[in-house]
Amino acid sequence: MLEQLLIFTRGGLILWTCKELGNALRGSPIDTLIRSCLLEERSGAASYNYDAPGAAYTLKWTFHNELGLVFVAVYQRILHLLYVDDLLAMVKQGFSEIYDPKRMVYDDFDETFRQLRMEAEARTNELKKTKQVGKPLNNARKQGQDQKTGFGENKKSNSGLADDGDAERTKGHKLENGYSNGNHVIESKLTAVVNGKENTSSNVGAFDVNKLQKLRSKGGKKTDPVANKGSKEEPKKKVTKKNRVWDEKPTEAKLDFTDPVGENGDNNIDVLAADQGQSMMDKEEVFSSDSEDEEDEEGDKGSKPDAKKKGWFSSMFQSISGKASLDKADLEPALKALKDRLMTKNVAEEIAEKLCESVAASLEGKKLASFTRISSTVQAAMEEALVRILTPRRSIDILRDVHAAKEQKKPYVVVFVGVNGVGKSTNLAKVAYWLLQHKVSVMMAACDTFRSGAVEQLRTHARRLQIPIFEKGYEKDPAVVAKEAIQEASRNGSDVVLVDTAGRMQDNEPLMRALSKLINLNSPDLVLFVGEALVGNDAVDQLSKFNQKLADLSTSPEPRLIDGILLTKFDTIDDKVGAALSMVYISGAPVMFVGCGQSYTDLKKLNVKSIVKTLIK
Amino acid sequence: MEGTEQWKVQVEQLKVQMEQWLEQGLEFVHQIPPIQLYVGVGVLLFTTLLLLFTRLFKRRKSNTIVLSGLSGSGKTILFYQLRDGSSHQGTVTSMEPNEGTFVLHSEIAKKDKLKPVHLVDVPGHSRLRAKLDDFLPQAAGVVFVVDALDFLPNCRAASEYLYDILTNASVVKKKIPVLILCNKTDKVTAHTKEFINRQMEKEIDKLRVSRSAISAADIANDFTLGIPGKAFSFTQCHNKVAVAEASGLTGEVSEVEQFIRENVKF
Repeated sequence: MLEQLLIFTRGGLILWTCKELGNALRGSPIDTLIRSCLLEERSGAASYNYDAPGAAYTLKWTFHNELGLVFVAVYQRILHLLYVDDLLAMVKQGFSEIYDPKRMVYDDFDETFRQLRMEAEARTNELKKTKQVGKPLNNARKQGQDQKTGFGENKKSNSGLADDGDAERTKGHKLENGYSNGNHVIESKLTAVVNGKENTSSNVGAFDVNKLQKLRSKGGKKTDPVANKGSKEEPKKKVTKKNRVWDEKPTEAKLDFTDPVGENGDNNIDVLAADQGQSMMDKEEVFSSDSEDEEDEEGDKGSKPDAKKKGWFSSMFQSISGKASLDKADLEPALKALKDRLMTKNVAEEIAEKLCESVAASLEGKKLASFTRISSTVQAAMEEALVRILTPRRSIDILRDVHAAKEQKKPYVVVFVGVNGVGKSTNLAKVAYWLLQHKVSVMMAACDTFRSGAVEQLRTHARRLQIPIFEKGYEKDPAVVAKEAIQEASRNGSDVVLVDTAGRMQDNEPLMRALSKLINLNSPDLVLFVGEALVGNDAVDQLSKFNQKLADLSTSPEPRLIDGILLTKFDTIDDKVGAALSMVYISGAPVMFVGCGQSYTDLKKLNVKSIVKTLIK
Repeated sequence: MEGTEQWKVQVEQLKVQMEQWLEQGLEFVHQIPPIQLYVGVGVLLFTTLLLLFTRLFKRRKSNTIVLSGLSGSGKTILFYQLRDGSSHQGTVTSMEPNEGTFVLHSEIAKKDKLKPVHLVDVPGHSRLRAKLDDFLPQAAGVVFVVDALDFLPNCRAASEYLYDILTNASVVKKKIPVLILCNKTDKVTAHTKEFINRQMEKEIDKLRVSRSAISAADIANDFTLGIPGKAFSFTQCHNKVAVAEASGLTGEVSEVEQFIRENVKF
């Protein structure tokens, strides 16, 4: 049964709800949908799963962009309501006929809705019958939907379904999907041969939206591995590096030439880097507007071929008169061009695709204003979407958090994590330098007890910045070292503890386990993912795997995930700034710092506007 | 060389033609009686001056009131309460601003002609906050809505948002008055406005320290709040900051209406 159907404006006013359904929704699925799906540019997805204590809903939605209306249907996840899509489309059409911006009450729509619903239900029943008689193979769409809804199944009692119209069908499928998942995957593979393309794309859409939400919610833990099984074929990427050999122990003597006396660099290193000037975190950035303008023109040229195809005159005429309303075919070429442009800027393909879908969903049916081209409209919409994504959801004022922790007489703990060689230690030193400048006492904790030379590297930084460092040599459990470091910090009154960890590939199970232990044991205030801006498609893999591993391997019901991103090597990428977008989109965490050079001062804030400009142009 | 020669000849021809036209024009003017001429010029001058004045007049007295605040504090409900005097069937999280120019609902019944108010409800979701910058420069007043019921968990976020508004360039320069509105006071467990006032002052005092450290990097925050070395209080702001109570759900919005009427003159 349908749980609820709502019609509201984009401004947020509810225009109509189905009173006869009248079930009070548990939790606030609608608000959650808007906040974590529609506003996160994931509206291209097919459905959204909402989990709350005692409720597991699936939400489907459609937009009427011209009138600025949103239609949302809510139903229990255990039911596979096939008519929802049809019903939403019909409701959309029916309601847009009677909609008037000045009117607020639509009681007469109740009757229309009842009819529409009957119609939709009847149609699906018919469809089902013909299918049962006919081929045993399901079509692609149905398959995708089943899979989606199948994943989220909690072990709920079947008794609730008994009187439902679809009960028999669902039951059958439940047995198939819910309990013997292996079977189902094989089956879906079979169909994938027939119509693989559609199937996989729908899989991906459902999978990724779920992933993020589930990682954050407690209930998701159980179901996640299952979700993986179904769609593992696509996200699997080449592992670029070989796993580290764990058991090869280097000899103790060789490793431990770390005695502080022997370091000859001691004397000639200038003692404090204070004379290096202000950290770039505190400097205003000046943009050269000329170069942007140039690029602007270039970008325009790039999008021109699409317009030219239709002939100069007709496109000119169209742009003057303004087109009645945009449909998918109109948007296609412009979106394609935009997607390509994003991909040349190093945005992961998967993410560029999803963004374009979301922009298309927000534009479809909208009226084109006169004197505008489709490409410029699409570009403006994309720009807005990008700004929205990159604008941090939470405050990234670390100093404020540090002061808050200080009041509670607790050190503020930051853990730097990331894959090998992205510059964790270097940027840790930069952050330390920046904090020092703001009169915060900092302590470093050398928890990279794995790579040779890591402790020495950190010690050198510590000496140059004249800050204390906590180290226990190599071959120690990093989690324990971090714990002791934090204790030490609260003893000697340090405000911030910066924990350096060993670099690890996202697929390296034992190392990820160690990291998860470190984080769970010490519950740091900030888990900072250090990622290099050079990375392309792998950014998605790295971040999502890190997040997933942290969630899966954690023993607590509320796993700690990545809170922020530090983007390094930003000076090496010219205009290929896509990694920033990929990382933020996939993790939902903001970019807190940007490392952009070799010296201590080369730490900046992300300038959202300039990034968006570079991406679009 | 030939080209320039030709060009010169053409210019000469043009000159001659222009002179002819000028003469014709002058003759035409002389034919018209002078009174008509004066009247014409007078009318022209009058209309341009009128247009100029209205433009200036309008700019000085904007009638835009901006509703801001965190997501879920009840801005949209308030918007519809002020416009229609009813909350309709409830609201969900806004994705776009609500805008409208109207005479307040409670004042429709009044006889005297009132100036309509341009009310803007800016979504509170942090991703959509950039929209606020579009509306602040032309605002005559800002209503900052705070959820009095669920205040403590949101105190920091709300204070940060308020800090951003209070240090916004146009708010400081134009001294746009700000009303901190404690919403949902119909509920028994809601905090009092005195409490909220105090807590937010404390929070902003802390923010001042951390923000002044990074203010150089932040282009948006060029201004600092309050007097250095003194605990922050809203009275130190150059613009007027008041605190009031309201309940969007039950329609208890008289204090907001009063604020709007103070700032949007008749």
